Amino acid sequence: MAAETGAPPAELVISGWAVSSPYGLGRAAFAGGLASGRRAIAPLDGADWPVPYEEAGLIPGFDIKAVLGRKGTRSMDRVTGIAATTVGMLLEEYGTGLAADPESTGLVLGTSGSVQSIMDFTRDALTGDKPYLVDPARFPNTVMNCPTGQSAIRHTLKGPNVTVSGGAATALLSLQYASRLLRGGHGRALLAGAAEEFSVQRARLERVADHGGAAPQPLGEGAALFLLQDAADARESGRPVLATVLGSRFRAFQDTARAGTALERCVADVLAAAGATPDDVELIAPGTPPGLLGKQEESALDGLTGNRLPVRSLVGDAGAASAAFQLAAVLAEAEADPRLVDRLTLVTAVDRDGTAGALLLRLA
Amino acid sequence: MTGARHRVVVTGLGVVTSIGTGVDAFAAGLRAGRSGAKPITAFDTTGFAYSNACEITDFDPEAWITEQSPDDLGRAAQFAVAASRMAVADAGLTEEQVRGVRSLVSVGTTDGESRDLDHLTGLQVTSGDDVLDAVVARRVWPGRLSAGIVRELGLEDVETVTVPTACAAGNYAVGYGYDAISSGDVEMALCGGADALCRKTFTGFYRLGTIAPDVCRPFDADRQGILTGEGAGILLMESLESALARGARIYAEVLGYGLSCDASHPVAPDRDSIARCITAAHRNAGIEAADVDFISAHGTGTKANDVTEVGAIRQVFGDELPRTVSIKSMIGHTMGAASALASAACALALRDGFIPPTVNHRTTDPECAVDCVPNEAVAADLKVVQNNGLAFGGNNAVLVLGRWDTAPVPTVA
Repeated sequence: MAAETGAPPAELVISGWAVSSPYGLGRAAFAGGLASGRRAIAPLDGADWPVPYEEAGLIPGFDIKAVLGRKGTRSMDRVTGIAATTVGMLLEEYGTGLAADPESTGLVLGTSGSVQSIMDFTRDALTGDKPYLVDPARFPNTVMNCPTGQSAIRHTLKGPNVTVSGGAATALLSLQYASRLLRGGHGRALLAGAAEEFSVQRARLERVADHGGAAPQPLGEGAALFLLQDAADARESGRPVLATVLGSRFRAFQDTARAGTALERCVADVLAAAGATPDDVELIAPGTPPGLLGKQEESALDGLTGNRLPVRSLVGDAGAASAAFQLAAVLAEAEADPRLVDRLTLVTAVDRDGTAGALLLRLA
Repeated sequence: MTGARHRVVVTGLGVVTSIGTGVDAFAAGLRAGRSGAKPITAFDTTGFAYSNACEITDFDPEAWITEQSPDDLGRAAQFAVAASRMAVADAGLTEEQVRGVRSLVSVGTTDGESRDLDHLTGLQVTSGDDVLDAVVARRVWPGRLSAGIVRELGLEDVETVTVPTACAAGNYAVGYGYDAISSGDVEMALCGGADALCRKTFTGFYRLGTIAPDVCRPFDADRQGILTGEGAGILLMESLESALARGARIYAEVLGYGLSCDASHPVAPDRDSIARCITAAHRNAGIEAADVDFISAHGTGTKANDVTEVGAIRQVFGDELPRTVSIKSMIGHTMGAASALASAACALALRDGFIPPTVNHRTTDPECAVDCVPNEAVAADLKVVQNNGLAFGGNNAVLVLGRWDTAPVPTVA
């Protein structure tokens, strides 16, 4: 079947999701952990992780070969393992019928790849007997689309395969990218979301980054992916409609003091486009970045009375996967609370490089 | 394909390349068949048997980056910002005008700021694992490639995204801009790609045996591989209505694009999947293969790529192959910028009526027998051109551009 078929989707919905988080692999661990309010951040073993952090939100005991088997994993890096694992979980639970149409099924993954893989490769080049004596099997790991491409190989996803990046807003940008691809007729079902790894080099780099004037928070890792398709397609294939994507809006701010204004406009615009009012928003999963950025986000959401779901404080700063965890938290909450049916929910992000974004969904 | 979409045109080009910075120098370089190949100075190449690349040696970041400290941006982001400034000016727009409309900035890349990561790794190796250059460390994240443009131009009503889909990333970013404008989500888009030469990538390709010892010779019987390159290409796109309303000079219309994923091998290209991508692009653009006047190939000049790519083209086009060229023979493989710069070259070709040559060419390989417009540009009356981008991860993206005044009205697919 061709990648482009039929009319553009009338109603884009989320019809499945999967998550790998510091609470463990799978939705149950994530939902249970969030519901209990237990912090999934644990002390780091300094011998394994020589990093300038005392603790982090690691996927407990994550071992690529144990999860994915030995085949094709000899040179696989951590972020690729996390992404491929999460894609696999989603397809296993919700993928019925998708394998019959691999050319219309794709993946839009938010990730900046692995700085660890990139720096390890250069280190080998600089410290080996010859400057070119590097492991060629690890070269693809140094390209940022590796987790996306490898996930497609393992799970035969032949439709659009796109990697996007935008800091804390990455997952919102990824869902937006996937929505446009579906509306443009480039696929029928797309997995969209984001993945991040914990690594020594990421920790060293993050330690000196700008955290809104505050101290760096513990880092987290993991991935969350969402199956996006037309509502009619979802129902036809027997998948549940978990939420309808009403829209996303993004704006930029030149300095941190303007971040709140930017986000406020995003929220107002995305609500207006959906014909909704602030009172319709029952549930909000904000990014809660540290320092000034967090204060700006808080002030932007001031006029909204919906319940706040804390995520970052429980799982750590999950980098590219941050907003993916926030959306996963919303879906976990909706599953547990029938009062949220037909109510609106907002996921927001404020990134230190100057992007504010808001995603609006109607829960089902 | 879908009803009531806006037509999308390219009205501004910004380019930073090893054969010229700025659209006029680039166009002149393409017509003249200039080569950017030279010995690498970006890093110490001691120990490599050969080390040519298409390096940019005359780039002055201060000339383009005035609203932020150039040190806050890595070399790839600096290229991207410079190219964006050029594209806005080339479109006859003021930056204030761009600020006044809703826009998208999408920048593709392969390596992001891996050159900075090379530098940080080098520091760790020579001075200890705890030694970090904080200024450099803060600018390594790929989001900065697109965010740097937004900051420099002072954009606020903008969606900012970096697209690290490896060596086809430029086409992904341009295709995304096409969808965002044609759907009416945004009015303008600055889209393209950027990358900077780095040790990491040179070493990887060298280890794979795919770096040419002297120059890049796509489709040649004696081709020996790629030369790594660097630069940025940014296209300013807007709806046709917007361009006509302000009397803009139009380079080309974006007719559509297609994507596919091999889902088979991390680095080896897959003929059937590339053919599927080309077919998807034609369908999306509302054209037939026979409409294509020339193909700007991915054309890396490796043994495997050129045979596989031409095989895929043959699968779609049959025996009547359009002329198929590779500008990588001139500017090297500029990674995430490659298909963006090739898109810019296609837009120039459409406007000016010429096909850029494949330089360094001696004998065409019968295994990938195409008319590659050897060594000298030719004049041609062009209506539709196709730009191929293929990448690691089996990520294919094919873009179709048309001369706007004669472009066929896209039909329902």
